[in-house]
Amino acid sequence: VTAQLEPVPIEERLRAIQSITDAALSRLDDGELLAELLERTRDALQADTAAVLLLDFSSGQLIATAAAGLEEEVKQGVRIPVGRGFAGRIAAERRPVILDHVDHTTVLNPILWAKGIQSMMGVPMVASGRVIGVLHVGSLTPRRFTGDDIELLQMAADRAAAAVQSMTAQADRLAAIALQRSLVPTALPAVPGAELAARYVPGSGGVGGDWYDVFTLPTGELCVAVGDVAGSGLPAAVIMGRMRSALRAYALETPDPAEVLDRLDRKMQHFEPDAMATVLYAVIDPGLDRMRICLAGHFPPVIACPGRPTALAKVETGMIIGVADPVRRPVTTVPIQPGTLLCFYTDGLIERPGELIDDGLARLCDAMTAQSPEVACAAVMQALVGSGPARDDIALLMVRCQADHPANGG
Amino acid sequence: MQVPDLGFPVEVVEGMPVVAAPDDIDITNADGLRTALLEAASLGHGTFVVDMSRTQFCDTAGLHALVAAHNRARAGGGQLLLVTRGAAVDRILSITGLDRVIPNFPSLEEALAQTPNDPAPG
Repeated sequence: VTAQLEPVPIEERLRAIQSITDAALSRLDDGELLAELLERTRDALQADTAAVLLLDFSSGQLIATAAAGLEEEVKQGVRIPVGRGFAGRIAAERRPVILDHVDHTTVLNPILWAKGIQSMMGVPMVASGRVIGVLHVGSLTPRRFTGDDIELLQMAADRAAAAVQSMTAQADRLAAIALQRSLVPTALPAVPGAELAARYVPGSGGVGGDWYDVFTLPTGELCVAVGDVAGSGLPAAVIMGRMRSALRAYALETPDPAEVLDRLDRKMQHFEPDAMATVLYAVIDPGLDRMRICLAGHFPPVIACPGRPTALAKVETGMIIGVADPVRRPVTTVPIQPGTLLCFYTDGLIERPGELIDDGLARLCDAMTAQSPEVACAAVMQALVGSGPARDDIALLMVRCQADHPANGG
Repeated sequence: MQVPDLGFPVEVVEGMPVVAAPDDIDITNADGLRTALLEAASLGHGTFVVDMSRTQFCDTAGLHALVAAHNRARAGGGQLLLVTRGAAVDRILSITGLDRVIPNFPSLEEALAQTPNDPAPG
C-alpha cells in the first residue's frame, strides 16, 4: 500500500527549507557541506536514504559520491551509465523522476532494492547549464512523494550542485598548476657553449596547455620542444604532459624531427582523438652550428644574429597535430652563426585581440637583440607583456650559441 | 532538453549545409560554433561549408572547432570547405598548415560550384 505521509504543517515545511538553505552551511568546506546537506535533506523529507551521484564526463557514467543511510553505494563505487536505470534516466532527461515501485526493472543498482527501498525520488543537479549529477532520496516504507517534496529536493540539489562546482573548479585549478609546475623544466640542462633562459606565465584564464622542453640526446645534440595544446585548465594540462613525455621518447628513438612529430601525431590521434596542438621541435647539432627544425602548425623561432637585423627563421610550415589525413612535415636546416640567439615561444606572447599576428611578430623581433638569454627574456617580456594581464599562457625559451665556444671555432 | 540559441544556424544552400562564422571566433563562442559545425557535418553528404568571409579573428579555440569539423567530415567521407576573405584568417590557416588540407574559396558561390549540389538524400 502506497501512502502519502500526513500533510506537513506550513511551519515545519519552512523549517525544512531553512535547514537546507541555511547560510551557516556555507561556512563548511565543500566536502563537509555535501555530507551535511544530505543529512538535512533526508531529515527534511523524512526519508531513509539520500545520495549524490556525480557525472564523470569522460565515461558518461554517474558515480556515487556522497550518501546518507546508503553509504555502501559510495563505498562500492557504484557507477550508473547516463540514460539507464533510475539515476541515469534523471540525468538523461534532466527532470525529476519518482518511483513508486523499486525492483530490478526500474532500478539498475541492486543495492537499492536489496536494501528494501520501496519508493524513490530524484532530481538532476545542474550547474552552469549542464547536468553534473543526480540527487535522490528513498523511503523504506511505501510512500507517494508530492510536488512539494520534489521542490524541496530540487532546492537541495541546486545547493549541492553549486558546492560541487566550486569544489571541482578549485581541485582542477590546483591540480593543473601542480601538473604544469612539475612538467616545466626546473633546471635547464648545462650544455657547453649554450646559454639558456626561459619563462612560463599562466594566462588570466588559469593554467593552460603551453609547454617548453629542452633536453640533450646521447649523441650530444640539444633538443628544444615548444607546444600549445588547444583548451585550458586541467584537461589541456594533462594532454600537454602526455605530449611532452611522448615527444621525449620519440626523440630518443629517431634522429629525424619530422618522424618524431609524425609519431607524436599518430599517438595523439589514436589515444586523444579530440586533441589539437601546435608543436615546434628542433635538434641543434653538438657543435651548435646548425639546427634541424620541424613545425606542426607552430610559429617559427626568431633569430637574432650579431650584426644582422633580427628576423623570423625561414622555416617551412607543417601540419598542426590532430588533423585527419596527416601530411609529411618538412624539416628545415637552419645554419647558426656564433653568438646567435634563438627565441622559441607560444602564441600567447605575440597575439593581441584586434591585432594582426604579423604586428605581434614584428614587435617581438624589435624587442630582441643578440645578447644574454636571461636579459633578452626580460626585455621581451617587458616589451610584449608589460604589466597587463595576459589572457593566454606564455611560454618563452631562449638559447644562445656562444661565440667564444671552441666548438664554434671562435 | 532546451537547446540554447547559439547564434550559428545551419542553413542549406543549393543542397549544401552552410554555417556562417562570426566576426571574431574565440574561447567565448568556439564551443557554439563547434556544435553547429558538427550538426552540419551530420547533414546531407557530409560535405559542408563554413563561411568565414566576415571573420577577422580566429584563435586556437576557433581552429580547434574547424579541425574537429574537418576530422568529422573526413571520417564520414565528406569534406569541410572554407570561405575566407580576411588576411588574418588566411595567415593563421597557413601557419597551422590547415590551408593544405581544407579547401578554401574566396566566395560562397565558388565553394558551392566546387561540390555536387544534388539535394541531400533522405
